[in-house]
Amino acid sequence: MTAPHWLSAAEASRAFAARTLSPVELMTALLARIETLEPKLHAFIRLDADAAMAAAKQAEAEIAARRIRGPLHGVPVGIKDIIDVVGLPTTCHSKILIDNVAKSDAVVVQKLREAGAIIMGKLATHEFAIGGPSHDLPWPAARNPWNPDHHPGGSSSGSGAGVAGGFFPLALGTDTGGSVRNPASACGIVGLKPTYGLVSRRGVFPLSFTLDHVGPLTRTVADNALLLDAIAGHDPGDPGSAPTQARYFGRHLDRGVRDLRIGFVRHFHERDVPAHPEVAAALEDVARVLQAEGAQVRSVTLPSLNEFAAINRVILCSEAWSIHAPWLRERPGDYGQLARRRLLPGAFMAAGDYVGAQRRRLQVIAAVEEQLRDVDVLMCASSLDPASRIEDAEETARTYPRQARTPFNVTGHPALAMMSGLASNGLPVSVQFVGRYFEDSTVLRVASAYEKATRWANKKPPIG
Amino acid sequence: MDPIIVALAKAAGLEKALAEFPGDVKAAAEQALNNAHGVQIPTDPAAEPWPPMRAGSGL
Repeated sequence: MTAPHWLSAAEASRAFAARTLSPVELMTALLARIETLEPKLHAFIRLDADAAMAAAKQAEAEIAARRIRGPLHGVPVGIKDIIDVVGLPTTCHSKILIDNVAKSDAVVVQKLREAGAIIMGKLATHEFAIGGPSHDLPWPAARNPWNPDHHPGGSSSGSGAGVAGGFFPLALGTDTGGSVRNPASACGIVGLKPTYGLVSRRGVFPLSFTLDHVGPLTRTVADNALLLDAIAGHDPGDPGSAPTQARYFGRHLDRGVRDLRIGFVRHFHERDVPAHPEVAAALEDVARVLQAEGAQVRSVTLPSLNEFAAINRVILCSEAWSIHAPWLRERPGDYGQLARRRLLPGAFMAAGDYVGAQRRRLQVIAAVEEQLRDVDVLMCASSLDPASRIEDAEETARTYPRQARTPFNVTGHPALAMMSGLASNGLPVSVQFVGRYFEDSTVLRVASAYEKATRWANKKPPIG
Repeated sequence: MDPIIVALAKAAGLEKALAEFPGDVKAAAEQALNNAHGVQIPTDPAAEPWPPMRAGSGL
């Protein structure tokens, strides 16, 4: 029998319904595991154990009385600490906001509570969701469950470490330049950046208004769809929210990929920014697996990865500067060095740089849209290297920007990263699938077919 | 440090950062320049930015 801490949300929900496991039993097992392993992983900024156990008892009573709210009822979830949870500090992992207690829940947290999910606490992040693994902040950086000497990706670092480490089956992260998909890639789990506007960002500390997304991190594709079902929906209070009716994101998970057309963006990792050989080999394996499952895979060309990255950085730095300028002027020493260095460039961007990047953005969006008229889904690299050692600042600085995620923050298309193998050093490598706007369910469909055709989702980090 | 960077930093109100973290300010200025040069600004004068202005579609 699967240990409680490795149950997916869907499995836990079925066990609750069958009365072979209760929410209190699951919570007890998870809290014991966290007590043992948190000193190695540092996934939490704040574990809210008492509130989580109280919520588990309430869920248990409701489920026993057959007042079941849905598949997330009684299922624990971790929240990145840039997302408001009422009564808890939203610190953004920064000294700047160390006493910033949230007055209300973010919309996504409200939705999770309505679905019956249990909020376990606030999770480590790169400071203000930018920068990198830092050792000069009020809390330690999260570490990778596959090898705690290595980073877990970021900026949703605690979300990735906690899901992969068996602390909770579900977590929320945010993604402005790849920050859901990076920890998913580094930690060997599933991370989705939904279509821009599909999930409300109200109550989430902003980094870059036109690039920010909230997204789910899970150990299985089916759980990712369940979590997206819970948090998606139009929010008239979020200016970027789309008036879409898209939902039931798991409805195509069992359809396979027969006759789907998949465009493989090889030039990202072969020519633009050459990938680590084991990452590149694993991507070719993914293509072979999907072809064997009946998909048509062919190479497609998009604008260069380097230009996408430049557009992303100009927009991100400009928008972030408009948020952080007062603190960078008055309290520069209260930031860690990595965040300070990544936020300050906005001070040197000209208005014309920003508008120019937004003009070019429309053209690169059109280029991606053109390809997505001829294929159903794109596939490409996510991280171009396995995770580096967390203490090796030079190697981390070299490898962190080597990724193919920012294009889809620029364009807003749904993009999912998941495990595609293990490198010879025992760390996960990854693949990314990208879909048409609001066809997140098709992205999940391809990911599910790949997951079922391989055994990677069954691999667990050797952490106990 | 390049006097242009110093002047731009002061114009942005970053005197304190200049005094305490001059290396970070210099690195940021260089990064901003590199990033801006990495974008192919459209040559078509009519190419509009994203997102387009849409009257009446706001809150």
